[in-house]
Amino acid sequence: MDRMFDRYAGILFFAVAAFFIIGSRSISTNSYGSSVGPNIFPLGIGILLGLVSIRLIYETFRYQNEEKKEEKLEYKRFGTLLAASVLYCLFLENIGYAVTTFLFLLIGFQTMKKGGIVASLLISVTFSVGVFYIFNNLLNVPLPSSSNWLGIL
Amino acid sequence: MNTLDFLLQGFSVAFQWQNIVFAFVGVLIGTAVGVLPGIGPMNGVALLLPITASLTAGLSPENAAASALILLAGIYYGAMYGGSTTSILLNTPGESASVMTTLDGYQMAKNGRAGAALAISAIGSFVAGIVALVGLILLAKPLSKIAINFGPAEYFALMVLGLLAVSGLVGKSMTKALIMMLSGLALGTIGIDAVSGSARFTFDVPVLYSGMSFLTIAVGLFALGEVFKTVLENEKLDGRIAKINRVMPTKQDMKDSAMPIARSSILGFLVGVLPGAGATIASSFAYVMEKKISKDPSKFGKGAIEGVAAPETANNAAAGGALIPLLTLGIPGSGTTAIMMGAFIMYNIQPGPLLFTNHPNVVWGLIASMFVGNLMLLILNMPLVKIFAKLIDTPIKYLMPLIIAFSVFGVYAVQYTRFDLLLLIACGVLGYFLAKNDFPLPPLVLALVLGPMLENNMMRALTLSNGDYMIFLQKPVSAVFLVIAALWIIVPMILKAKKKKSTQSKIKKELFVG
Repeated sequence: MDRMFDRYAGILFFAVAAFFIIGSRSISTNSYGSSVGPNIFPLGIGILLGLVSIRLIYETFRYQNEEKKEEKLEYKRFGTLLAASVLYCLFLENIGYAVTTFLFLLIGFQTMKKGGIVASLLISVTFSVGVFYIFNNLLNVPLPSSSNWLGIL
Repeated sequence: MNTLDFLLQGFSVAFQWQNIVFAFVGVLIGTAVGVLPGIGPMNGVALLLPITASLTAGLSPENAAASALILLAGIYYGAMYGGSTTSILLNTPGESASVMTTLDGYQMAKNGRAGAALAISAIGSFVAGIVALVGLILLAKPLSKIAINFGPAEYFALMVLGLLAVSGLVGKSMTKALIMMLSGLALGTIGIDAVSGSARFTFDVPVLYSGMSFLTIAVGLFALGEVFKTVLENEKLDGRIAKINRVMPTKQDMKDSAMPIARSSILGFLVGVLPGAGATIASSFAYVMEKKISKDPSKFGKGAIEGVAAPETANNAAAGGALIPLLTLGIPGSGTTAIMMGAFIMYNIQPGPLLFTNHPNVVWGLIASMFVGNLMLLILNMPLVKIFAKLIDTPIKYLMPLIIAFSVFGVYAVQYTRFDLLLLIACGVLGYFLAKNDFPLPPLVLALVLGPMLENNMMRALTLSNGDYMIFLQKPVSAVFLVIAALWIIVPMILKAKKKKSTQSKIKKELFVG
C-alpha cells in the first residue's frame, strides 16, 4: 500500500466531507409537512465521510513499511493521450463529431505505438465517419456536425 | 395469471425479432468483452449502457427498456462465458471471476486438452444459466411478495444493509470501501432534491441542477479507468496461446464433470443472491469445495476437468443469482448489477417488488431472453471458440483509443453536454488512481444509484415518525436488517484483529496454490 497516496487521499476526502458539511448548512432545515429537511442527509453523510477519512489517515501511520516496487510507467504516452482526450472533448461540439473523432483516433493510435500509418488512417476514418453516419443519419441520434465550415459531415 | 403464463408472455417478448437481435448482439459483445484482456463484464456493461440508450430511442419506453436490458444482461453473462477462454488458453483471466479457472484450465491446455476445457466451461455455463433462471423464476414472486409489505423504514434499512454488505466484501481495506461508498452517497445529493425540491450544492451552475449523471461516472470510472491503466502500465500478454485441437469433450470428461457442474450451479446461484459476494467468490468457493469432495484431490492443479467445470459453472450461476436482489428488491448487489439498475432508472422503471406487477413485459421478457441468450451462447461458443480466441491478439494500440472514443460518443449521445465529457475524463483518471491504490470502485457506483432512494425512504420514514430516528429500530424488520448490517462491518473487524498471520497465509495457500 502506498502510504503517502493514502494519506493525501484521506486528507482530500476529509476536505470533501467538510465541503458537504459546510455546504449543507445553507440548505433549508425543514420542508413542508415534515420536521426534517433536505439538509439532514448530506450533513449526515458528510459527518460519516469525515470520520472514516480520519480513520484512514490514522491507519496510514500504522502501515508496515514495505519495499516500494519500482514501476516503469508510461507517463509520456498517458499524458499525450489524456491531453488528446481533453482537447477532443473540448472541441467536439465546435468542430464536429466526425472530424474530431478522426483526429483523436489518429493521434491516439500513433501515441500508443508509432507506425502502421495506413491501418491507423483506415480505422480512424471508418470509425469516425461510420459512427457519425449510422447514428446521425440512420438512427436519428444527432451528433455535432461540421457542415457549417466543412460543407460535409 | 400465474408464473407460467407470465413466463410464456415473457417468451413472446423475447421472441420479437428486435429482441432476438439484441440478445444475440449482447452475448456476442459480451463474449468478446470477456475474451479481450482488460475489459470485464462491468466495463462492458458500462461502456454499452449509453449506446443501448441511443439504439432503443425509437421504441416505446417499455419496449425500449426491455430491449436495452436484454442486451445488457446478454453482455453480462456473455462476458462470464468469454472470460474463461483467456484463462484456459493464455493463463490470463479475462475477468476476476475466471481466476480460478486458470489453475486447471491452463494445465489442460498444456496437455493438449484446451478444446475439452473450453467446451466443458461452455456446457457448465449453460447449465448454470438455466439453473439460475429456474431459481429466479421460483424465488422472484415470493421475494417480491415479502418486499411489497415493506414500508420506508424497512427499505431504508435494507438499502443500508445492501451498501454495507458490498462495502464489507470488496477490496482489501474496509475503511477505503466505506470512503468510496460515502463519497458515492455524497455525490448523489448534488442537484435538485426529489423530496423537497430544493437545490443542493449547485451554486447556480445550470448543469449541476440535474445532478451528477450516473452514466457518465460509471463509464468514466470503469471503462476509461481501465484504459488509462493499460496505457500507463504497458500491460503485455506473455506466453503463447495454446492450440485448440478437439472441441468436443469425451464421454469420460462429461461423466467426470456432471456432478461438479450440478453442485457448483446451485452453490454459485446461492452465493450470487447474497449482496456483495458475487461471481469471483462463487468460483473460488466452488473450486475449493470440489477439491474437498474429490476422491483424489491431488489431481487438482494438474489439469483436472472438474477444476474447470466447477468455477466456470459457479461464476455463471452467480451472475444469474445476482439479478434476484436487483429485480425483486431493487437493491443491486454488485457493480455490474448497479449499472443495470442505472439502466432501469434511465427508462424510468423502478426495480423492486412492484416491477413484476407494473412492468411484467420488461421483467419476464428479460428472464425469457436469458433462456434464449444462454442457448445462443452454447451454439456460438462450441464452433466459434477458435475465432473468439483470436480476439486475444487484438492490438492494444487500436483497442484503447477506440474505447475512449466509444465512451465519449456514448456519453455525449445521452447527455449532450461538454461538462459530462470532461467529467467522464476526470472520472477515468480518478478511477485509475483510486483502483490502483485499492480504493474499490463498485461501492461508489452502487451508492450513487441507491443514494437518492436511500434518502427518499429515510425522509419518508422520518416524516411518518415526526422526526423520530427510533422508527428504524422500532420496526422489527428494519431493526433486524440494521443489526445484520452492523454485524457485517463489526464481525470482520473482530476477526481481523484476532486472526494471526499464519492462518491468513494458510487460507491464501488453499485458495490460490491448491
